[in-house]
Amino acid sequence: MKHYFHLQFKIINRKIEEAGIIPVIGYILGVVGLILVTELLFYKTEFAKYIVVLGVVGLMSKFQTKDREDFLLATYGDVEKRKIRMVENLLISVPFMIVLLFKGCFLEAFILLVLSCVLAVATYKTNVNFVIPTPFTKHPYEFTVGFRNTFFVFPIAYTLTIIGVNVGNFNLVIFAMLLVFLISLGYHSAPEKEYYVWIFKDSPPTFLFKKLWAACRNIFILNFPILLMLLYFYSEEYRTIILLYLIGMLFLWTIILAKYSVYPNEMNIPEGILISLSVVFPPLLLFLIPYYFKKSVNNLKIRLHDRY
Amino acid sequence: MIVIKGLSKSFGTKEVLRNINLEFSKGHIYGIVGENGAGKTTLFRCIAGLEDYSGEITADILPLKNHLGLLFSDPYFFEKITGKEYIQLLCNARKKEITDIESRNIFDLPLNEYAANYSTGMKKKLALTAIFLQENDYFILDEPFNGVDIQSNMVLTEIILKLKELNKIVLISSHIFSTLSDICDEIILLRNSQILKHVEKSAFKSLEDEMKAIVLGNRVEKLGLK
Repeated sequence: MKHYFHLQFKIINRKIEEAGIIPVIGYILGVVGLILVTELLFYKTEFAKYIVVLGVVGLMSKFQTKDREDFLLATYGDVEKRKIRMVENLLISVPFMIVLLFKGCFLEAFILLVLSCVLAVATYKTNVNFVIPTPFTKHPYEFTVGFRNTFFVFPIAYTLTIIGVNVGNFNLVIFAMLLVFLISLGYHSAPEKEYYVWIFKDSPPTFLFKKLWAACRNIFILNFPILLMLLYFYSEEYRTIILLYLIGMLFLWTIILAKYSVYPNEMNIPEGILISLSVVFPPLLLFLIPYYFKKSVNNLKIRLHDRY
Repeated sequence: MIVIKGLSKSFGTKEVLRNINLEFSKGHIYGIVGENGAGKTTLFRCIAGLEDYSGEITADILPLKNHLGLLFSDPYFFEKITGKEYIQLLCNARKKEITDIESRNIFDLPLNEYAANYSTGMKKKLALTAIFLQENDYFILDEPFNGVDIQSNMVLTEIILKLKELNKIVLISSHIFSTLSDICDEIILLRNSQILKHVEKSAFKSLEDEMKAIVLGNRVEKLGLK
């Protein structure tokens, strides 16, 4: 187990170095970033504690893939595997638990601790016969795969919308809408295998515009019930609703373009810093989008062979 | 036609392909053979444009990659995408309208199940179906017969022969010489990053004998089996 974590530590250090940063500085930046982002979150919304819990659970679930579970089980055995998963989950959640405790959210911190332990011992199971239907079958894949991985979020978001409308809590309904945006940002965060870019018969700008348009269309489908309720019950707030929707859309576009700007590598600290800064100051998105678009076009020229 | 002139490729200081010159004609099937690490997959990746290289690769229809059906020896599938969605994705990427996926499912795959849960052979058959439905002009099939059941191998052989009839260019790599000698018009032997032999059908037998002599040597004796 010790060797496993030593190796993970080396991998993380290599990733930080690949971003051109000395690992120690990378860790310091990580801590500062965590403090800034959570401070901002708690400053901006009353639902920050729930966003933190949901975000951490989402992060932990990334480590709970079938391949990883199989590898750990085959290499270390069942008992050791559970210990490793437990330590991994705690390493992820403890910094956020400290933030929650510092903010006086003791119940949420406790829930996060329990979830970290429960998810560590939960075994990945696949149901071969059950395919979750999606409205995106004709246009795979980001939203098709993402929706299936996070399908449980949508009943929660739609239920929150109904509750918000019933109790007259506008902010709760807005939170539900932003939750859908937040979840869909994750659909585009990891780079796909090169084959899935190579297959496209498009020039880089067309390829990117298609990705942006697909994101636009698909996020609208997912947000449609919430938007409808918002605009019907809170029609006087239509300016705020449209503005927040547009900001969510711009974030989604930024993530997509940032991904292809460094493709086939994963987004790293520089992208993380710029995107975090745009959370603090959303107008920055208006500069980031054209910047990442241009960078992506140049980067994709090789992959899509746009030499003609 | 695909023409390769002076193709070389290195990974760091390791030279994987050295001065490869080849010409592939329409309506022909070419077999690429060689030991593991001989450079077969790298050659395919260079033709597909997935690797940088020195030299020149041209084709009569450009860009080549937009008309190329590429089968990797170990195709990757997204975790939660069905067989039907995979085919749809590949056809969308090449702007091919496809409405009758079910009726063209010649390998009887469970298209409404997640592709990642398919067996190795089923995954290969799905990847093959998708590139055939893309209506490509060129095909690169890296180990297409590996892991596929004998019945499907028979179907696949017939499909490849049909592609030849349709004037397509097909490049195949296989570790099983007999499968290549049955269907290929020419076989290219790669060894130590270079083309060691390039022979036509009439010389396949002597190539096989030569390969056996090179590969086997006295290895079996060295093992000292008792």
